[in-house]
Amino acid sequence: MKVSYFETGRYRTPDTVPGVWPMPSGVYDVDAGADVYRGMVERITLVEQLGFDWVSLSEHHYSPRILTPSPPMAAAYLAARIHKIKIALLGPIVSHANPVRLAEELAMLDTMAGGRLIVGLLRGTTNEALTYDLNPQESRERTDEGMELILKAWTEPQPFGWQGRHFKYRTVSVWPRPLQQPHPPTYALGTSREAGEFAARNRIGLGVSYGPFEVMGKATGYYREQCAAHGWEPTADQIIFRANIVLGRTDAEAQQAMEAYPARAAFAMGAGVANALLELDARNIAGEARQASVNRALPINFVGGPDTVVKQLRRCRELTGAGIVDLGFNTPGTSDPNALIAALELFGREVLPRVGDI
Amino acid sequence: MPFQEHYVEVDGFRIGYRSAGDGPPLVHLHGAGGLRVNAAHELLSQRFHVIAFEMPGFGAEENTRTRDMPELAATMVQAIQAAGLSSINLMGTSFGANVALNVAVRKPDLVHALVLEAPAAIRPAGLRPPSGQPEAIARMLYAHPERMPALPPVDPARAVRIATLTKRLRGLDREPDLEARMSGLTMPVLVVLGTRDTLIPPEMGRLYKDLIPGAHLVFVYDAGHAIAAERPEAFADVVGDFLEREDAFVISRATTVLLP
Repeated sequence: MKVSYFETGRYRTPDTVPGVWPMPSGVYDVDAGADVYRGMVERITLVEQLGFDWVSLSEHHYSPRILTPSPPMAAAYLAARIHKIKIALLGPIVSHANPVRLAEELAMLDTMAGGRLIVGLLRGTTNEALTYDLNPQESRERTDEGMELILKAWTEPQPFGWQGRHFKYRTVSVWPRPLQQPHPPTYALGTSREAGEFAARNRIGLGVSYGPFEVMGKATGYYREQCAAHGWEPTADQIIFRANIVLGRTDAEAQQAMEAYPARAAFAMGAGVANALLELDARNIAGEARQASVNRALPINFVGGPDTVVKQLRRCRELTGAGIVDLGFNTPGTSDPNALIAALELFGREVLPRVGDI
Repeated sequence: MPFQEHYVEVDGFRIGYRSAGDGPPLVHLHGAGGLRVNAAHELLSQRFHVIAFEMPGFGAEENTRTRDMPELAATMVQAIQAAGLSSINLMGTSFGANVALNVAVRKPDLVHALVLEAPAAIRPAGLRPPSGQPEAIARMLYAHPERMPALPPVDPARAVRIATLTKRLRGLDREPDLEARMSGLTMPVLVVLGTRDTLIPPEMGRLYKDLIPGAHLVFVYDAGHAIAAERPEAFADVVGDFLEREDAFVISRATTVLLP
């Protein structure tokens, strides 16, 4: 199993930040923001030395949580400073993007990073529809079409036009093309039937996140079935499982930390908007309807001391087939950056050497 | 305006066609499944005088006489002229795009602009035209057969007759003579392919770009082989725009003003 470190930015402010999304940008602390980007380089330098396989970045907006609204820009910053670790964008929100522009930026990044780019293509969390005024009912279709257009823009050698439903171009011919040919390792990120079918049809990977292993196993199982129907079998490296981890030196220490884990949503919204979004944003897991994640706290999938976490990783592999786990390290109860560094070092020392054969 | 049925008698054949609309003439040559007027024809007839021919052997009567694609093209040139047309926009679908290309390379003065929809003039090795029951044919023609109206029942005798005719006429998967002549085409050419076409994969579009100087290639997203039937608005929009503005169709005229 390979391990990816999910860099979430770690914005720390001396003041209390209001809890409702969108967070007013007036409470943004410029020094705390500058620390985020300095700290990213320090942490990724560390995880590279510890032997993590990837660092991942993702896109969120209007909030101190995950301060990388433009993941390609963060990736370019990191690629210039850290030279070995693979950089995974998990991912740019395709439904927001001009897909041709995204194809260009990702090809640039892959070239500038010496072929170290991994690409996950994402529909976006429900609240994100508000960011750039997009109809949440159209986000699934926009994402599917955008993903297909990005793959086409990377691989079609002749200038072409695109007569889509949501996108229309008369001239596409991107330069540069990705350094990795035909394109960087690419994943559709999502648990839905549509994401699984898209990934299978286009022979790309699938990334799932945060749900219980058994439930995520349904999504990855559906993906594998669809791959078989298209005449191919994905490798373990083509399935990513993203999750939160609380690692302690012992199980008891981790459980104690969990008591301070905030039971609030990362992007909490007022009831009027949240309820309306829930009605408009249809989601599913391998075809089974599920409610969009609105005003719900993200679960922690891996909790414990090193031995327990190794067991949990093994179970994750068994139930989801994921060959790559993308971990967001949580240190509940403390905002001390040294606590995160300590958790990473502990993981590197006690867990990483034991995951290679999972 | 509904399509009206007409016919011309040329070259020993009675060749039917359906036409509607006013404007510059747009002649359509159908695929191996025969002529079916679809929503894209209707949309294009709002801007063009659409003339959709039924090529000899693809209707009620058998055609045992035409030997190859150049002969069929020559017959269709006569039919076009007999319909009173001297300068046309020519659009061919799949097998019909093969015919249209053969017309264009032999009678370039007749063809003002050329549209090739899922063209089968260059084919992947071993390609077989759709056959079987309507449901099976629909799965080969459409990306989303479940969204499409059912195809008409198959008359087995007619299906065998047309399959025999198509096989006889369609030529090699790659015809060196035709491909050599394609480089001499000077009229505007548009090649349209569906991103979900499993018969003529969209990757084949680049071969036309390689062979025809200045040809335009457009992918219709989420369409199978029968692009015009499956995404008529998308197809008619790009074809109409191309025929109206030719090479300049690459310049957007869509407004982005939301609230003036």
